[in-house]
Amino acid sequence: MTTAPTPLYRTIDRFGPHLVYPTGARLDAGVEPDRVVKTHCCFCGQQCGLQLVVKDEVVIGVEPWMEFPFNRGMLCPKGVNRYLQSAHPDRLLTSFARDDAAPGGFRPIAYEEAIGRVASEIERIQSTYGRDAFAVLSGASITNEKAYLIGKFAHMCLRIANIDYNGRLCMVSAAAANKMAFGVDRSANPWTDMLGAEVIFIAGSNVAECSPITTSYIWQARERGAKVIVVDPRITPIARTCDVFLPVKPGRDAALFNGILHLMIEHDWLDHDFIERWTVGFEDVAAYAKEWTPRRTAEVTGIAEDRIREAAELWGTAKTSFMLHARGIEHHSNGVQNVLGAINLVLASGRIGREGCGYGTITGQGNGQGGREHGQKADQLPGARDLADPQHRAYVAGVWGIEPDDLPQPGADAYTIIRKIDDGEVRGLLTISFNPLVSLPDADFVRRMLEKLEFYVAIDFFLNETARHADIVLPGSLQEEDEGTVTQVEGRVIKINQAVRPPGDARQDWRIIQDIARALGRERGFTFRSPREIFDELREASKGGVADYSGITYEKIERHFGVFWPCPVEEHPGTPRLFEPGSWNPVARGAGPFYFPDGKARFNVARYEPPAEDVDEEFPVILTTGRVITQYLSGTQTRRIGPLVDFYPEPRVEMHPQLAERYGITDGDWVAVESRRGRVTLRAQVVRTIRPDTVFVPYHWAGRKSVNLLTNPALDPISKIPAFKVCAVRLRRVEAPPAEEAPPPVDAPQ
Amino acid sequence: MSAEVRRAIGWALLATTVLAVLIVVGSRSLDHFDAALVGYTFATLFAVFGITYRYAMWLQRPPTALYWRRGWQVFFRRAFVWHNLLRWPRHVIDDIALNRFIWARGRLRWLAHWLILWGCIVAGLITFPLVFGWLYFDTVAGRPGWYRTVVFGFPTISFPADSLFAFLVFHGLVWSAFLVIGGVMVAMRRRMRDGGAAAVQSFAQDMMPLIVLFAISITGLLLTASYTWMEGYAYQFLAILHAVTVIFGLLWLPFGKFFHIFQRPAQLGVRFYKEVGVLSDPARCRRCGHAFTSRMKVEDLIETERRLGYAYEIPGNAAGHYQWICPRCRRALLALAQGRLWHGSRGAAAPPHPMPEFGNPGMGEGPLGAEDAANFHP
Amino acid sequence: MPVPERNEFFIDPNRCIGCNACVSACMECDTHRGYSMIQLDFIDRARSPQTVPVVCMHCDSPTCAEVCPADAIKRTGDGVVQTASKPRCIACNNCVLACPFGIPKMHSEANLMMKCDMCYDRTSVGKKPMCASVCPSGALWFGTMEEIRRLRPRSRPVRTFRFGNQTITTKVWMMVPVDAPVDRVDVTDAMHEPTVGRSDAAADALLSGLWTAEGA
Repeated sequence: MTTAPTPLYRTIDRFGPHLVYPTGARLDAGVEPDRVVKTHCCFCGQQCGLQLVVKDEVVIGVEPWMEFPFNRGMLCPKGVNRYLQSAHPDRLLTSFARDDAAPGGFRPIAYEEAIGRVASEIERIQSTYGRDAFAVLSGASITNEKAYLIGKFAHMCLRIANIDYNGRLCMVSAAAANKMAFGVDRSANPWTDMLGAEVIFIAGSNVAECSPITTSYIWQARERGAKVIVVDPRITPIARTCDVFLPVKPGRDAALFNGILHLMIEHDWLDHDFIERWTVGFEDVAAYAKEWTPRRTAEVTGIAEDRIREAAELWGTAKTSFMLHARGIEHHSNGVQNVLGAINLVLASGRIGREGCGYGTITGQGNGQGGREHGQKADQLPGARDLADPQHRAYVAGVWGIEPDDLPQPGADAYTIIRKIDDGEVRGLLTISFNPLVSLPDADFVRRMLEKLEFYVAIDFFLNETARHADIVLPGSLQEEDEGTVTQVEGRVIKINQAVRPPGDARQDWRIIQDIARALGRERGFTFRSPREIFDELREASKGGVADYSGITYEKIERHFGVFWPCPVEEHPGTPRLFEPGSWNPVARGAGPFYFPDGKARFNVARYEPPAEDVDEEFPVILTTGRVITQYLSGTQTRRIGPLVDFYPEPRVEMHPQLAERYGITDGDWVAVESRRGRVTLRAQVVRTIRPDTVFVPYHWAGRKSVNLLTNPALDPISKIPAFKVCAVRLRRVEAPPAEEAPPPVDAPQ
Repeated sequence: MSAEVRRAIGWALLATTVLAVLIVVGSRSLDHFDAALVGYTFATLFAVFGITYRYAMWLQRPPTALYWRRGWQVFFRRAFVWHNLLRWPRHVIDDIALNRFIWARGRLRWLAHWLILWGCIVAGLITFPLVFGWLYFDTVAGRPGWYRTVVFGFPTISFPADSLFAFLVFHGLVWSAFLVIGGVMVAMRRRMRDGGAAAVQSFAQDMMPLIVLFAISITGLLLTASYTWMEGYAYQFLAILHAVTVIFGLLWLPFGKFFHIFQRPAQLGVRFYKEVGVLSDPARCRRCGHAFTSRMKVEDLIETERRLGYAYEIPGNAAGHYQWICPRCRRALLALAQGRLWHGSRGAAAPPHPMPEFGNPGMGEGPLGAEDAANFHP
Repeated sequence: MPVPERNEFFIDPNRCIGCNACVSACMECDTHRGYSMIQLDFIDRARSPQTVPVVCMHCDSPTCAEVCPADAIKRTGDGVVQTASKPRCIACNNCVLACPFGIPKMHSEANLMMKCDMCYDRTSVGKKPMCASVCPSGALWFGTMEEIRRLRPRSRPVRTFRFGNQTITTKVWMMVPVDAPVDRVDVTDAMHEPTVGRSDAAADALLSGLWTAEGA
């Protein structure tokens, strides 16, 4: 029984989303705070330092933390308003069990009873259908400690292969390509290296809205003379003032990078010395790039030829540079190829591993970096170790005190886990910090799968849209209610400090996980008493791995405003910049700066493939999706914060006037956007800042406003990332949203 | 001595003289004038001089003068005079009796102000007529134990001395003192613990008035206490102390924060000006074409700015004067003008277009009122 | 005794990314909790994502104060033009309409004009204004002249503005290119840019970057 309760408006009435605004103590300028806690923002991978102002166990305000070096007090509106999630009326304060008779469809139950039911259902499903019939889906907005514990819980306590996390929707293309090219998956440079760059190449990143603080680094670099190249189908705020703007057709990034490499080779804008000494495989890449003449590149990418030449010359002739990319090139059925294309440009220029010469992928989620290093990813063990590697298995099994053979083999990715529900392979599910109904493509399919589950338990602080399908909901903790570490965009491990106690019967997520393990009678290895104890074991488990945290301590983090991994011993200062000449790493062992046995980086042919679903006569328009600045991911938190919602109240479908004219659409009209998988009806925003063949819809909304009803679940063959950034749709102007789509009356009779 | 000052002194002398004459007439040639209160009388006469002088100076500032003149014109303009006459009682009740606008500024602030306001009004209504001899109570011939109220020499209602009514009337100053003290306490508390208030307040402007009000009220109460329960203990001393505080308050009226009592009613005139502005010809922005205020308002402001010596005329441009550009377009132009300077070194700036819009549409500029949302400032 | 650091406010609207952090942050200030004094506008969203945040420029001779019939707007000794005095403001809108920068906001219900007063509650205790602390693009920035010269070698602060025949000098600085041949920003000059008569395509940064079969 895991359909969502009906009617929906009653669930919303009871569990939200409701909007909160500053009131009471939050408006009273006379309140003397109990304490001011230095911590970090919970939204996005930049992890800006900030201070939370606390009164009576409620966060009542925010104060900039001017000393934290990454952002020096700077915040985006999410950071300024984030305190409003504390003491929110929608906050889950007890455990709940699904009960149609109860208001909103959920009945409060005692915590121990809830844990007991979860354990007995896990027991039942695993003994009836096999261990892997239970799956765990986790998130990348949780601390390293929790990510580690959940990985351990799945692999050691439940002994399941089917654990994955929502970084699968975020970082995996970049991670896979980084491992293929560099042998390690982390931004290669601290952001300060941007300041010395002559050229900053931003591919597929709406920096201003998705990583706002990065804007200040770019502007600072420009003050020192840096030129900026932006690749984006939309004129984003950062693209507006850039030096070369490449309005790429969504899904054609690999072609563009090959085209630029073609010109670099043609004009000999190469660092031959670097290519020869520190790379492997340039010849194959060069041979492939030969096909990508400017003319062909222009035809495929939809970018004017002279713009491509301009960009190539700027990039090719620079002495220093920084390459940045994000989901725009990664969310594709050929996402890994796109990233490899970008990396090839960096390797061909030889501009990496030095001051002012950098490369980085911008993590989107709060712990996008750390969340993918410590074993909650389908194929991974702590320290960025491989679950398939016998040596790695043996080491981690040793730390955990089990036999290597007791560890499961690598499992399925997040979307495949959902698909496995269809044929009954997966029958039970635990989610934490993940809202797949909003964030996965083809949302209608995801909903049907959730309804097929025999048992579903969700751990969360708010009843998110997916959790409405749960049998049991356990009240977890907000970021400010727990302590731990997070690894931000640069690879800097930072410390989250607890500001308030979890309210009511809510408790810290790691305690809940351990309680389930205890109820299962398998509490060995799950008796930690604090995040610090978990972190100490994490340090041990990551020791000698690629992502080596063993030299990092809480105190050291606080002392140095964060420590960059790898940090193999306590005396080690951390490693802000990777791949410096002469640097040591545990894979190359001195043979070279890159994380391969020979110490050399790998060129990989970045083969261009058209998107899995291209436009045709029936669906002639490209749909691409992304973020807005005031919302975060599936909106579980940010759609509950009034001021943030007010800035951008609902998704609109952005389109060029040329396209709008073709369908007789004017600004503000209702437009039905249909793909092969579904339809949404949204208001049009007609702007000249988007390619005329493309429409854009932000993805943070649920239900009928969810653009993921349309997106294509085609996965990249290597990274298994869904192709959020391109699918084919058709448009139709409509008078109003269809009647059945009208929102339910708020005050409907009982 | 400038013409403005001479004119202001003239008005001040006139007002003071008129009051003096009224005192003589109202007290029936000082028959009912209480000589003990002469200090108060002279302080009041001085205060009237000061207030009138300052008010007259204030009215001669170009923006005030224009508003003053236009305010009356607008009030009596034929098309609106009935509308205005019908509206003004409501404005007086909303703005002055209820202080609705202060409610919108803050609940505590409203409570403090409203208590002090009514305390002062009640006290003023009792004190001044008594001091001037305009009001006194007489025994009623043939009805022992009854009092008659005499106003300006004319006998009015009578009432028994032991009635509740008498108790309330004779203790009017006590009640007003309670109101004022309550208000002062609330205001003091707010000023002492509100971080925002603490940052911007000053002793002379914000604390001193509260202290003066408190001193007047508490010494007045002590007087009552002295003759009611303590058989007039220290009555003379207390009477002098009370007189000193009241006289200080009166003398200070024209200078400090209390002057707002006399300025504030101008807000009623502004209301009529705005209402007529909404109903009359709008001014359209000469850049974006949107109505943003009334024509009258723009023309008046241009005139005011000219008198103040500003030169926002734009030669060679169809707009003519910067006052014809709406505030939103002014903000946009500022950015465009700066963007032009960066053109070339920071990529292409957007081409100008006559339609800026708020960057926070969902907020609808809500917190600051619907007026900002429409950006119509009559 | 050490010379106290003299902090100044610098604005560079061209850097603005329209994130609304300043608007949100402004609401957190103690003197006006819950109200933002900053107005953030899209200049022309249909054609560009360009936005402009405005804080009060704090004119040397503030038009808003001089046109105020109630004498409610005061300029402090250090040049900060303060928000309207609460007892005096009669909500006449003169300041809102006269300010050449379009800054003051009218809180109609409260009969009170409110405008940026450079976070008096924060700057008076040595903190930076909230908006300039959080601004992620550096469009709003608060610090010393030496710092800004060091951080922004390609920019130069000016604080003289021209509106038709009127020259206004302000306390707040605006960043212009270091080599710009001007010592003031001529605001009304931007009105001379043609708003009609140019072809859309030529003005369209995006379309000019697209590949077309004819253009090839």
